[in-house]
Amino acid sequence: MNALALVARREISTRIRTKAFIVSLLVTALLVGAAAFAPKLMGGPDSYTLGTVNSQRLPLEAAAPETEFTWKAFPDEGTARKALLDGDVDAVLVGGAKVLTDGEIDQELGVLLQSTNREIKLGASGVRIEPLRVESVGADTRYQAARTGIAVVLVLVLFMLLISQATMVGMGVVEEKGSRIVEILLTSIRPWQLLGGKILGLGALGLVNLVAILAVGVAASAGSGVATDFPPGMPGIVAGVVVWFVLGYAFFATLAAALASLVSRQEEVGNVMSPLTMLIMITYFVAFYATSEPTGTLATVMSMIPPFSSMVMPVRMAAAEVPLWQVGLAFALMAAAVVAVLSLGAKVYERAVLRTGARVRLGDVLRAK
Amino acid sequence: MLEISELRKRFAGGPGAPEGKLALDGIGFAVRPGEMFGFVGANGAGKTTTMRIVMGVLQADSGSVSWQGRPLTYEGRRRFGYMPEERGLYQKMRVAEQIEYFGRLHGLSGARAAQATSELIERLGLGERRGDAVEGLSLGNQQRVQLAVALVHDPEVLILDEPFSGLDPLAVDTLATALQERCRGGVPVIFSSHQLDLVERLCDSVGIVSSGRMVASGTVAGLRAAEGGTLRVVVRDPSPGWADGLPGELTAEDGRQVLLVDAAGDDQEILRRAMKAGHVEHFGVEQPTLTEIFKEAVA
Repeated sequence: MNALALVARREISTRIRTKAFIVSLLVTALLVGAAAFAPKLMGGPDSYTLGTVNSQRLPLEAAAPETEFTWKAFPDEGTARKALLDGDVDAVLVGGAKVLTDGEIDQELGVLLQSTNREIKLGASGVRIEPLRVESVGADTRYQAARTGIAVVLVLVLFMLLISQATMVGMGVVEEKGSRIVEILLTSIRPWQLLGGKILGLGALGLVNLVAILAVGVAASAGSGVATDFPPGMPGIVAGVVVWFVLGYAFFATLAAALASLVSRQEEVGNVMSPLTMLIMITYFVAFYATSEPTGTLATVMSMIPPFSSMVMPVRMAAAEVPLWQVGLAFALMAAAVVAVLSLGAKVYERAVLRTGARVRLGDVLRAK
Repeated sequence: MLEISELRKRFAGGPGAPEGKLALDGIGFAVRPGEMFGFVGANGAGKTTTMRIVMGVLQADSGSVSWQGRPLTYEGRRRFGYMPEERGLYQKMRVAEQIEYFGRLHGLSGARAAQATSELIERLGLGERRGDAVEGLSLGNQQRVQLAVALVHDPEVLILDEPFSGLDPLAVDTLATALQERCRGGVPVIFSSHQLDLVERLCDSVGIVSSGRMVASGTVAGLRAAEGGTLRVVVRDPSPGWADGLPGELTAEDGRQVLLVDAAGDDQEILRRAMKAGHVEHFGVEQPTLTEIFKEAVA
């Protein structure tokens, strides 16, 4: 086995058996699973109890097939009023002409009652109304709610994984530098092998996390019935997320390693990595904004500029249809950025990681021969 | 043969000291296969810097390091064993796992690394600790693991920075024995230490470094011979003035007089006068200790 694989294997085997890894994996999976059931639990009431006094039932089921209606007949208005105040019914239809409610009527129910009533009365007088035919000239928006939901979950998952894995890379670099293990390591392997192995190993763990989360998410959605609302092309969206995670991770993790190699103590890691943390936060905010405005100018532009594209593009792809050329351009630019950061980061790391003691200035490292 | 010649290194200065610090000023020495070389010197004399340069952890401004007649390269260093001054181990990793990992990084196969690890754990008395995380070990045991990491790939050369610091006498013996075994197997061993008695006991040769220069080096016996001994004469109830005109230093203590004089002088004349003056209780040359040689050399 070569040194790169050995280093990667050590990263994986030492982390995977820590409690922190297992707990965080379980918690995230649980949260994503819960999110898949959330629309069911938080959606508006989809059942109404209605009363009648001297009145026929209205065929509300025809207008709202997914809503459940229960009817109760009351002998007189007095008992109906009492039932309303007790909360036994949502509204009472009196004599086919009046609706009693307790306070403001539920908006959806009000519209339903009014329009059904109108239709019945018009139908009775012989007027037939052709329902309006709806035709979309824009993107298919039937799945908009589901798409937005998926995008919101994705942006959270990507953000958490990217920031935690990048931080882990930084901490690992300083662990080795601060304890001088790096001096022994670098007398037996090359700096790029140590750095590359660490990034690969922790990246593989991140990927395990991501795939587990995606699997739980898809399985839970199927279980809760939310999956029926999913847009076509979900496998493509999921695969895209994995690719974008890999690109984003490679970018941010390399930067984390380069920055962390400048300091020698764990206490300094947070400080030296703060520009990177900021960058990930900004990316996260833009991506979060893109969940609600996936076709806006800001989202469109940022989804093609690295490293923002690593989070904004998968979110846009989930939230809306994205033209293929934009995906291609974003991918090419991000891949180029990853290559640039890898070569620069490896250089910084190699030059700084053996310079223990005070914090090494980035300028000094870059200027050195 | 490991040859270190004319190493120079100046560390960049800060705002307070624009000159920087001259750490090495042309230091050079050679260590033969099977030789145990003790590297001594005050703090800041340049021992660690020299070792770091040999191991390629630090770049010299000028000078060279060669092994078996050729400039030492990365590939050559991979076959060296190194113990840095500040100990470096993964705190959360288990003892056996850690030793094995470093063996594999040095290019051993899985099976060979496992076998070498088991042997070292046995040899260094870590048997009961093999499954423990390093962070739970005593300092002495951590040091044993550190040495095992330096030895696991059966190195051609050993470079050890203060391997004995902070150890109890038993641990010192275990480590010293392990080093002597390697040394007898033809491995040159360089170690630095402030425990001069230990260096004197273990080493074939010694290098004394001061201000980045090698001020004295050679076998312990050779250094002693160069330094010369002190002749110590003790005479009971001597006649007064017997030592008048003799060189050296005369002191008196309860009825005896003690003369300390450079052994290079005419000892027979001194003996004759002492015997004439009284009862000679002691007459002998005392070899300087390494501590005395060291103090003399760096003074």
